[in-house]
This record gives sequence, C-alpha cells and structure tokens, in this order.
Amino acid sequence: MSAVSYSQLVWVTLPEIALVVAALAVLACDGTVLRGAAIARRRGVAALLACVGSVAAMLLVGSGPASFHLPDGMLVMDGRTRVVQVALLVLTILTVLLSEAMLTPAAEGVAGGKTAFTHHIGEYFALLLFATVAVLFLVSTQNFLLIFLALEFLSLVLYILTGFDKQSQLSTEAALKYFLFGGISAAFLLFGISLIYGLSGSIDLSQIAVAALQPDPLWMIAIVMVVVGFGFKVAAAPFHLWAPDAYQGAPTISAGFVSSSSKVASFFIFAQVLTLGVFGAAGSGMWHGAAPGWVPVLCVVAALSLLLGNLAALVQTSLRRLLAYSAIGHAGYLLLAIIAHTPQSTSALLYYVFTYALTVLGAFGVLAALEAQGIDRIADVAGLSRRAPFLSACMLVFLLSLAGIPPLAGFFGKFWLFGTALNAAPQLGLFWLVMLAILMSVVALVYYLRVLKQIFVADVPANAGAIHSGLVTRVTLGVMAAATVVLGCDPGLLIRWVVR
Amino acid sequence: MHLVLFFIFGGFCVAGALNLLLQRHPINSALSLIVVMTSLAVLYLLLGAEFLAAVQVIVYSGAIMVLFTFVIMLLNAQREERTHGSRAAYILGFPGAAALFALLTFIFISNGKSLGFAVLGPDMVSTSQLSSVLFRDLLLPFEVTSVLILIAILGAVALARHHEPHKDESKTQGKER
Repeated sequence: MSAVSYSQLVWVTLPEIALVVAALAVLACDGTVLRGAAIARRRGVAALLACVGSVAAMLLVGSGPASFHLPDGMLVMDGRTRVVQVALLVLTILTVLLSEAMLTPAAEGVAGGKTAFTHHIGEYFALLLFATVAVLFLVSTQNFLLIFLALEFLSLVLYILTGFDKQSQLSTEAALKYFLFGGISAAFLLFGISLIYGLSGSIDLSQIAVAALQPDPLWMIAIVMVVVGFGFKVAAAPFHLWAPDAYQGAPTISAGFVSSSSKVASFFIFAQVLTLGVFGAAGSGMWHGAAPGWVPVLCVVAALSLLLGNLAALVQTSLRRLLAYSAIGHAGYLLLAIIAHTPQSTSALLYYVFTYALTVLGAFGVLAALEAQGIDRIADVAGLSRRAPFLSACMLVFLLSLAGIPPLAGFFGKFWLFGTALNAAPQLGLFWLVMLAILMSVVALVYYLRVLKQIFVADVPANAGAIHSGLVTRVTLGVMAAATVVLGCDPGLLIRWVVR
Repeated sequence: MHLVLFFIFGGFCVAGALNLLLQRHPINSALSLIVVMTSLAVLYLLLGAEFLAAVQVIVYSGAIMVLFTFVIMLLNAQREERTHGSRAAYILGFPGAAALFALLTFIFISNGKSLGFAVLGPDMVSTSQLSSVLFRDLLLPFEVTSVLILIAILGAVALARHHEPHKDESKTQGKER
C-alpha cells in the first residue's frame, strides 16, 4: 500500500531529523562536557547548538524536494508549506536568542530581581527544538492521525515549557491548568476525528473532502468537536480560559513561544483541515441567509473572541495578561480569514499570523528583558523610556503594530485580511463581522496606548535606575522591530512568498 | 477444544473482573486484575494472535501490574472506607452497568445479522501483519510517537528532579523553602 521507500522517507524528513539530532546534541553536551560549568557558558553553547540545528533545518527545507505527496497525505509539501516551515524555524531561532535575557542572573542588589528561572538549560533548549519538530510535522501533514499526534506532541512540550519555572507557584498552576484544559480539548478533537473517520472511512484530508460532499447531520457534530479542539489550541473565545493564566505564569519566553510559533502552526493546520478536509460542509455565515456548516460556527467563535478578548484586555493590570487577552482578540481576526476561505484570504491569514507572531514574540522578548527587574504590572513600566530607551522604542513598534497603526506590518495585515473577508461573500455578506472586527481594533488601540502612555509619558518613579539588557537581546529585538517596520512599509517582500 | 478453553478463560476473566470490583483491599483488587489480564492473553492466543498474547503477558500482567503493586505497597494502602458516596455508587452503579449490559446484549442478539461478521484469522492479527502496519504503512506516526515518548521522559525528569541549590541562588532558596 505504501509506495515510499525508507530512504525516501528519511530524505523528506531530513529537516525534522536535523532538529532532533541538534536537540539530542544539546542534551548530551549539557549533561556531559559542560556538567558543572557556569550557567552563562552552558547557555551560550546550548543556544549556539540550537541555532546551528535550526539553520541546518532551514537549509534542508530550502534545498529539499520542492513538492511531494506521500500516500494517505502523510506528508505533503508545497511552496506554501515550505514558507510556513521556514517562518517557524526563524521564530525558533528568535526565541532561542531571546532566551538569553531570561537565563541571565540579575545584577546584584536589584530589588525584586529574579535569578535565572531554571538550571536545566540543556533540557530547556532541547524542548524548544522538539517543539519545532512538532510544528514542522503539524504544518506539513494532511493526515488526521499525524495531525493529532503532532498536536499532542506540541501540547506536551508546551505544558512542560509552561511549568518550567519550578520556583514559581504561578508557573506550576499555569502548567496544570493548561494541561487539564488541553487534555479535555484533545478528547474533543479525537472524538471529532473518529466521527469524521466513521463518516468518511479515511483519515486523509483529500478523501475526507470527497465524503464531506454528502450531507449528513453527523458532520455538524464532528465539525463542532474539531472546532472545539482547535479552538483551544488557538485560544479562541469560549475555549480560552487557559490562556491568561498560562501567559502570566509561564516563563516569559515560553509564553512568547506559545503565542507565536504554536499559533502559526495551529492556525495553518486549522485552515487546512477546514478548507481542504471539510470544504463541502462549509455553509454560510452571512447575516442574511446563514446556512448550517462550519462557517457559522466559526463566525460565533470569532465574534466572541473579538468581543471578549478586546474588552477584557481593557481592565488588565498585568502586562502579560493583557497580551493574553489581546491574543484572544487577534485569534478572532485570524478566524475571519478562515471564515472567508478563499485563496486570497489564506494568503492574508499567513501574512497576518507571521507578522503577529513576530511582533508578539518581540513584545514578550521586551518583557523578558525587563523581568530581571521584576516588572510585570502596567504600573511598573512607568517612565520606562528614560530607564531603557532602546527597549521602550522596540516596545513602541511592537505594540503599535499589534494595534494596527500604519506604516507597521500589523496595519497591512489587518487591512488585507479585512479586505479579503469583505470580498469573500457576495453582497458584503460578512460585513457585520468585519465591522465588529474594525470596531474592536479601535478598542484594542486604547489598551495598547495605555501601556505606551505609562512607558513614555508617566514620571519615572524615584530610586529607579537605568535598566541594562544583554547585547544579544538588544540586537535581536532591534532586528525584529526593524523587520516589523520594513514589512509594513513594503508588504510585497512577504506577499511574494505567501501568495501561491 | 477452542470453545471449551474460551469458556474456561472467559469465565476466569469475568470472575476476576467482578472480584476486582468487590474486593475491599487494594492489593486483592490488583491481584485479581492480574487474573483478568492473563486470561485475556489466553483469549488472544485462541484468536491466533500469538504476538499480542505475549505482549499482553509481558507488558500488562508483568510490567504494569508490578508497578501497581509497588505503588500500593509504597503508599501502604489500607482497606477502603465506605462513605455515603460509595454506597450511592453501589446503588446506582450496579443497576446502571446491568442495564448497559442488557441493552448491548439485546442489540447484538436482535440486530446480529445486520451488523455483519468480522473475519479473524491467522492472517489478520499475525506478527507480520502487525509489523507491516507499524513499520511500513504507519511508520512516520510510529516514529513521531517515539519522539513524543522521549519528550515525556525528558519533561518528567526536568520537572520532577530535585532543584539543586546553586551558589548564586542560596538566598532565594532559603526564603521559599
């Protein structure tokens, strides 16, 4: 049945193999040669190995076969998947580089300062690499068995990364909540998948697509279950309960990884499952003339995410909780692109989710650099622009891009996404949802500006000195901020790649 | 011959399962679970699945049950105490299970013909069939699972390992512990 030889299989999974080898090398190096070495040295070597592994994987993705399709849709590669894989690897490298700030012990005598959150340096970087393996598999498969396995794989790594800070009770609590919600949603997803398997007799998305053309009320139940499962992964509204706690409790860089890399992969595969797999059961979400299918279900989820995420973010006092609720809001915008389900909207989805991941990882990177000073509440960043001008400038770029201010990348992403959503349905059928999204972006501007006002306008509290951050962190954040500006000024740089 | 063996070991299996539920001491329950697992292995053997039977004995009756008994002994578990909740579970649970059993039996007997037949033979469940599924058709998911299990081990070690006090951290350690 399977017409793939072992050497072929090795050939097409070379990027993943490279990452696994790099992860094992990190573990081995940290556990043997560097046992007992200073933290800074172990961190440097582990980060270097992780970067080398990711770059090697990136080269292998680039030089590997441009397109292939294993039987049963087990692994499918085309131009777009390749771009997503490269983007995921870039995000991993950025995460590794930004981890430096988190793993540096605070300077002596800083009040409320925290030391490095873990001594398990090797395990930490190895887990980041393994998570990347999971997301690479996740985006390159069209087979429900492998989708489920990769999702569980990814979730397992993320639970561990969330609970990695053993000195903090919040981190443990966050990991436990994340784990319990994750377990329940995995059960929903699996139930949905088994119903789909029962209906179509296949776990290959392309064969399911054929079966989905036959209407059957069971499809609706199966689809709702699948939406619940994926809704949890992307933190959309009724399934978001884990997100604020996980973002707040997790080590900052882990939270950044959860909100960037995992989000890109989950949204991509969510769109793949719905548009490739059960396209036939789409239905319609137009204000007049809604028809049953997955589109109206997603419309409800998107509207709830937009409202709840953005309105709840208004009253947050913790910066990381604020980013969590804003992530729920952004999940709402992104769902809009899946609802539209046209080829253009998928391109817009990719553009939006890439730039979103870049900026949100940047925002978490700034928070990570500040965490050594024990800064978490919005009130703590008062006058930050005088204490850490460079970090504040980066934060300005990231937050304004998240809010969607031109000429930054976030603006073009929103613009394109709303445009394709309006064009998708005849007679402006999705106008109600786009209008809601635009209104909510105005609301979003309020809470982002509140943070920026604290940073740039509020007075510096007495006895607060300058904040120093590591060179690697500053360079990485600078590059990310520059990329946000450049991608906003010339979106063509990225559009070239995401348009099929 | 097969039928006689089936009834003997099927009976053992059901009796063991009932004993598992009715025993009040955890260690007795664990031992009756071993009876259930081993008689299941014989049933697999009767179906022609030698490999599955061997795995059942080695993994379930062997490894997992040893773990069970170890945990029970380490925790020094005593006879379970009766509470109102457990009485309610008895009152609701037994009729519920009986009703479910009756329902399933009724459906299988009354609709048996329309359900069709499952063909079980030496070709279906043989080791070579199993391995061709695991190592050929579903090789990639199998390999991904192996990495997943590695992650689980890694995570368990990283999260459960005792935090070694470090030089520059002895201050915070003292505060928190």
